[in-house]
Amino acid sequence: MLLTIACLSALLVSCNRSSSPAARKLLIYTPHGQDLLRDFVARYKVAHPETDVEFLDMGSREILERVRAERNRPQADLWWGAAHTTFQTATDENLLAPYRPTWADKIPNSSRDSQDRWYGTYQTPEVIVYNSDAVRAEEAPKDWDDVLDPKWRDRILIRNPNPSDSMRAIFGAMIWRFYKDTGSPEKGYDWLRRLDMNVHEYTADGTLLMQKLVRREGLISLWNLPDVWIYKEQKGFPIGYVFPASGTPVITDGIAIVRGAPNEEEAKRFYEFVTTPESLVLAAKKYYRIPVRTDVDRSQLPAWMNERVNEMPLDWDLLRKQSGEWLRYWDTEIRGRSKR
Amino acid sequence: MPLLSLKNLSKRFDKTQAVADVSLDVERGEFFGLLGPSGCGKTTTLRMIAGLETPDSGSIEFDGRDITNLPAERRGFGMVFQNYALFPHLNVFENVAFGLRARHKPNPEIRERVKGALELVQLPGYEKRRVDELSGGQQQRVAIARAIAIEPALLLFDEPLSNLDVTLREETRGELRELVNRLGLTAVYVTHDQEEAFALCDRISVMVGGRILQTGLPRDLYEHPAQLLVGQFLGRNNLIRAIRLSAGKSELAEFQTLEGGHTIRIAVGDKNLVPLNQACILAIRPEHILITKLDDQLENAVPATVREINFAGATSSIKLDANGLTLEALALEAAGLSVGDHCIAVLPPERISLLRNE
Amino acid sequence: MSEERPSSVGQRARPPRGQPAWGASHHRTSDGTAAALSPRLILLLIVVVVLLYGVIYPNLHVVIASLQRDGGWSLLNYREVLSQNIVLESIFASIGISVLTVLFCAGVGVPLAFLFERYTFPARRFFATLAALPLVLPPLVGTVAFIFLCGESGILARLVQSVFQLQHSPWSLRGWSALLLFHTYTMYPFFYILTGAGLSRIDASLAEAGRSLGAGKTRVLTRIVLPQLTPSLIAAALLTFMTSMASFSAPLLFGGGVRVLTLEIYTARQRGDARMALTETVVLAAISLSALVFFQRYEGTRKFAAAAMKGAAKRRKAVSAGYVRALAIACGVLFSVLLVLPVATLVLVSFAKEGSWTTQTLPSSYTLANYTKIFSDSSALEVFLNSLSMSAIAAGAALIWSFCVAALIARKGRRHWKRVLSWLILVPWALPGTVVAVSLAEAYGKPSPLLGSFILVGTFWILPVVYFLRFMPLVVRAVQASMEQIDAALEEAASSLGAQWWQRFTRVTLPLVWPGAIAGTLLAFVIALGEYVASVLVFVPHNRPISIAIASELRDFNLGAAAAYGVVLITVIGLIMILAGRLETSTSAG
Repeated sequence: MLLTIACLSALLVSCNRSSSPAARKLLIYTPHGQDLLRDFVARYKVAHPETDVEFLDMGSREILERVRAERNRPQADLWWGAAHTTFQTATDENLLAPYRPTWADKIPNSSRDSQDRWYGTYQTPEVIVYNSDAVRAEEAPKDWDDVLDPKWRDRILIRNPNPSDSMRAIFGAMIWRFYKDTGSPEKGYDWLRRLDMNVHEYTADGTLLMQKLVRREGLISLWNLPDVWIYKEQKGFPIGYVFPASGTPVITDGIAIVRGAPNEEEAKRFYEFVTTPESLVLAAKKYYRIPVRTDVDRSQLPAWMNERVNEMPLDWDLLRKQSGEWLRYWDTEIRGRSKR
Repeated sequence: MPLLSLKNLSKRFDKTQAVADVSLDVERGEFFGLLGPSGCGKTTTLRMIAGLETPDSGSIEFDGRDITNLPAERRGFGMVFQNYALFPHLNVFENVAFGLRARHKPNPEIRERVKGALELVQLPGYEKRRVDELSGGQQQRVAIARAIAIEPALLLFDEPLSNLDVTLREETRGELRELVNRLGLTAVYVTHDQEEAFALCDRISVMVGGRILQTGLPRDLYEHPAQLLVGQFLGRNNLIRAIRLSAGKSELAEFQTLEGGHTIRIAVGDKNLVPLNQACILAIRPEHILITKLDDQLENAVPATVREINFAGATSSIKLDANGLTLEALALEAAGLSVGDHCIAVLPPERISLLRNE
Repeated sequence: MSEERPSSVGQRARPPRGQPAWGASHHRTSDGTAAALSPRLILLLIVVVVLLYGVIYPNLHVVIASLQRDGGWSLLNYREVLSQNIVLESIFASIGISVLTVLFCAGVGVPLAFLFERYTFPARRFFATLAALPLVLPPLVGTVAFIFLCGESGILARLVQSVFQLQHSPWSLRGWSALLLFHTYTMYPFFYILTGAGLSRIDASLAEAGRSLGAGKTRVLTRIVLPQLTPSLIAAALLTFMTSMASFSAPLLFGGGVRVLTLEIYTARQRGDARMALTETVVLAAISLSALVFFQRYEGTRKFAAAAMKGAAKRRKAVSAGYVRALAIACGVLFSVLLVLPVATLVLVSFAKEGSWTTQTLPSSYTLANYTKIFSDSSALEVFLNSLSMSAIAAGAALIWSFCVAALIARKGRRHWKRVLSWLILVPWALPGTVVAVSLAEAYGKPSPLLGSFILVGTFWILPVVYFLRFMPLVVRAVQASMEQIDAALEEAASSLGAQWWQRFTRVTLPLVWPGAIAGTLLAFVIALGEYVASVLVFVPHNRPISIAIASELRDFNLGAAAAYGVVLITVIGLIMILAGRLETSTSAG
């Protein structure tokens, strides 16, 4: 019986496959989600009907693992979506090919690789989030250090920082605040220790974090702005956010061509297509992505994207090199140890 | 020429020598028994005949052909296993038909032969039954039907009756013998039950410790065991340690028992002669000892005291003490005797065997 | 058989004097031993090739990498890893949790199997089917459902809270107890299914014989039934232990502060410390495989004589006594309700309106939006077909493969190479899924002298191969356990009746092993359907499996849609199970 099913569906699958006569191909690895990708692929196909665009959707860390494993025979052409820290790791391992887009000079230097191996597309500022049903706006923490207030003891939810670019950036920033003056992470560790005393739970992923927040397992969290808006607006979750007064880390989300890509030219075309000002505005309006390009008409963006973000200046390179060690220390010496 | 002939078969399992240098011949049409205590190697011998074990050395010949290395499925022997080994997923019909299907017989022939085989074992109409719905005796019959359905050149039985209760066992025993006779089959039958072997078999080999000690007709084995081990194994026996005194008169040899110091004369052939003043063992069956109250000047009359009387239905077992020599006798009537009585135990010379003590 | 006239059989059964029986045989091979040996050789060749290409070659580099430091051979990695307290702590935690998981799963699974296999009571079949339910809970959304049910803001906690007017949640779903709860829930089916299959092959009359000899119920159980079940129990314990050792999402989600080895590997990978992750992986695999050695030794001492078993099968007893009957039914119902709850929660989540379920015990408003979303999505059908076909291919191959292996291993005579064989077969099961996928991708991602121009990465076939490698140990174990329980005399009887080896196999061994083999195959099939961690690293556009779709929805924060996918998957699996059940009963009745 199993075999019958196997044969039948293998047949169906192969029928599906043979029904695409397109001559050119393009394979994209992306964490941006099906809805966004389908939208852009459909628009792209209007302009380039001869191209067969396919994409694999998975987390950016998984993409890194995959690209690494496939390095001897790359499958993907384009890697669309990952924090610049992840791209930096990929460049260190020589997994990306250089490409200089036509708009290379329209973004800040900090949002691109010096050797053109990746460019920024979207910005992701980190914010303090609270359950707006349970916490009034004026009570919510206004800055990073307010989160350490004993009144939030056992009220804070934090996403496990290891697999999360946002949380790594926040943790890194918290240590960096002290490290830049003292040259030692000790004071930053102390800060994380005090945070640990208030933390109710470190959740495994962002989805659970938000669920637990609205279900009031905790009331306060740290998370990134676009996701907060998706929950707030699309799903109607009762949540509010605060830009930390002293400044916040802003992650750059980027795009890159995979080294040895089988369809490099096609990849470049798609690369350009999704980073035009029109495409960026579309992504901003429909998918809550804040564009990096400075020449986008800000008036077309949702109002909240134009709120002034006080960006915390960070040495991303140092952070990336140190955060492994720092996280390891946090993991073994701080996490869950402060209460007992 | 014998139909089946084993020549110097040996088989070792890890550290135990299961079968050592076994040779025997089975004649065509003979019902041959392999008798011995459990663990004596009789089943292993049977399995080598069946082709389920390969001998380490020695050879098996069947009908003049060497079949030592022929796989079991090509020997065409029927085998009835101790636990019947019926196929639980097949019904009675399919169990019996199994060997015929393996031979790719046409369906009508299979139906006919299964029907016939089931009738032979008195299970007509049981075709559709599941084997686990059958009683032990019925399962056993199915196993026999399955083995005879293939018209075996040789029928092998591995203690097939040991899982049945006593009455059923005796009943089935008779039917089995009759069936094998009627079909004119040659059979090798393994059992540890001497009564069963005596009732069924034309000839018997007694095996102990992987070796064949003695082969012969049941009566010969019983009455004249050649060895101590055979004597011990086959039924109850009074074993009397004695020393040979003289050649004695006529063909009787004279012995003195170690216990009690009685003088015993027995009839011995030359080949059994034991040197003078040499210890040996005399054996006599309990039922051969006569008990009398009168001193009739009979040969080997020993005065004794009744120690114990055990009533066992048709016969009674009587334990006697003859001046330190313990004897057991069987008597149809224990009437007139009671514990503590003095009597005479008579050991007829022709009933006494002289055993080699190996 | 007294007055019976000799029938036609009787007359024909008289052997023609002098004509040996083999003369009638259709097969005239000059040399019997050669005919019996060569198929075995072919089997051996198949097994060796699959193991070489599927297990040894891809995983060799993992071991080698863990033994290298600065370009030279060294044990430094191990010294480094094993000198860290945190690693030792996680090793002990992993072992501790796995041992407890095995005990708990046995405690739940074995009695359930007895209840459903030995007694009949109303709706037994229904409950018996439900008892395997945890298997169909897809891993990604299953944990979510568990959190919504048992978590500190879950249905049960909210219920208790509202009944007792508590200010705070009565418990939190974290730490050892939460882990063990989830492990027991998801892994007890190994015991339930394998014990059930084992029990169905044990002769009830043996137990009855024991009772008749004056042995009490417990004595019969411990001295007669359990020893006979040993192969099944050991297979189940081994699978449970290894699954628990490799369990990742449960410690990640409910572990709280508990550190286990899989989490350490994960965090090491995330930190970019590949060397440490590799070394820890080898340590994990080594522990799992030593468990195998331990279990095999135990198995060796408790091996019962197969011949003690009559070929005949069990009878199911009707529970007649009023209170026992009531108790059995009550237990069955209670268990089933408990087992159904997580699935029911998943259904609830799939219908709940996003954002509406916050502090309420149950969602306040419902919607069909999640289902319309996935049913209107053309790729949804494709995803299901992909997963079904790839899992079916993998499971089917595993079934055939396990018969090859079992035919080589199961029969008498234990030798060292057999031990090595069963070791190698279990390696993919002992390794975390990520490692299996990565090593396969690296080994078959480039042309190499060993492979010629054969490249697996980027093709449809990579996933079926990964599924096969990861889950075939399950089927092999199930088949092996079934084979070891077969009375050796049955095969001997077949061969004495003239059946060639393949006739023996197809007409005796196969039908007897079939229930166990099918159980194992279905298990592998269902688990492969939900496989995620390895799939994500090697899937291609044309074989995007269901788990990727679920993960994708989760990443887009569409919890409801993910749950809806899960519910559809469970429904599909349920239908397949029912179908398989039908097939099995119809074939076994014939």
